[in-house]
Amino acid sequence: MTLKQAGDADLLELIVQQNEAALAELYDRYSRLIFSVAMGVVGHRATAEEITLDVFVRVWEKADGYRARRAKVITWMTRIARNRAIDILRREEVRPLKHSVTWANVSPEPAADHNPVAAVERSLDSQRIRAALATLPEEQQEVLALAYFQGYTHRQIAEFLDLPLGTVKGRIRLGMQKLRRILEQ
Amino acid sequence: MRHSDHNDILELIPAYALGALDAEEESTVRQHLTTCAACRQELSAYQGVVDLLPLAAPVEAPTPALKSRLMARVQTTPTKDTAADGSWWRRLQSALRALATGPRWRPVAFVAILALLVSNLLLWQQVSQPAERPSSWRRVFLAPTEAAPDATGVIYISADGRNGTLIVDRLPELGSDRQYQLWLIDDGQRVSGGVFSVPADGYTSVQIASAKPLRDFGAFGITIEPAGGSPGPTGERVLENNL
Repeated sequence: MTLKQAGDADLLELIVQQNEAALAELYDRYSRLIFSVAMGVVGHRATAEEITLDVFVRVWEKADGYRARRAKVITWMTRIARNRAIDILRREEVRPLKHSVTWANVSPEPAADHNPVAAVERSLDSQRIRAALATLPEEQQEVLALAYFQGYTHRQIAEFLDLPLGTVKGRIRLGMQKLRRILEQ
Repeated sequence: MRHSDHNDILELIPAYALGALDAEEESTVRQHLTTCAACRQELSAYQGVVDLLPLAAPVEAPTPALKSRLMARVQTTPTKDTAADGSWWRRLQSALRALATGPRWRPVAFVAILALLVSNLLLWQQVSQPAERPSSWRRVFLAPTEAAPDATGVIYISADGRNGTLIVDRLPELGSDRQYQLWLIDDGQRVSGGVFSVPADGYTSVQIASAKPLRDFGAFGITIEPAGGSPGPTGERVLENNL
């Protein structure tokens, strides 16, 4: 079995052993996704690259802290990326314009790695979540994007969009409930 | 906790999973979660939704130079647990040196080598396991024709039989005036499942577009067509499968 065929958790085992080729393989698999999440939050390429670099350096340094039973490797990494990017937003008070916070189109990109099973699994997940988001009314998509990418609380979203707090709470709840329903089908 | 309080908190769980509650509400929910299994289950379901959201971020790519920066950085950044003694190979070398030069440490070095060999054998076994795959997925292999004898292809169909992805490898790269087209075949009727190109290495994956569930088709084929695709197959067939 080559590194390209190894599962993500196997790559982390090797990274714990300071295997640089395993880190390079993990980077090839997920750098675009991590960078995309960071870009979605900060909207600035140079900052998003620094966040991406930070995420992979952290994986290199803390791979032994990963616990497979808690989350998939990619979930662990995207959580780190999102949290780090939102921290930067809050620290530097960078707020992208409202129109720049958005979800991707329904059609996912072709998977970029040569691990067929992982590529297919991720590709199908992308297709499912994008299709599910596309069924939501635009106003629900908007509040979910502000919460996910900007780390806004519902009160901050209400101020940002100049809407009653109850309206924003309702949109978040209804949007999430519908996503859950569709994804569980 | 009163039933009405429980219901109020239940309504806040989706926003809690998103991290969109104010500090006070978040604290109330967190406290409630410690004693309410039903709400923990709800949270787990919504957390599953939030964990998929990054896959819906608009796709962007970092510059190629970022990978070089990462690899240069890690060469000077050892991992926490192995900072003192380096990689397993370096540890093995150092254990061998101890074995050769220090008779007092010979038994310790021997045990260390044994432990390293066992741990690496276990790691090798782990890496050699096939990657996890949902058992209910269906896999359809496509066989090459004389037109592209080195090509391989596989279609993964989701558990419910509706969605699928085509992966091809070693298909010849075509000129800009031609593309590959996937055909979904049912009772001799052929409908397009997507038009695609491959880069120089011949590898790509394609999300299959179909109004009907993929499980309803009896065969699949890939032909070379004019760029943009054709209403029906007109060109040479490069991969095929008959179920």
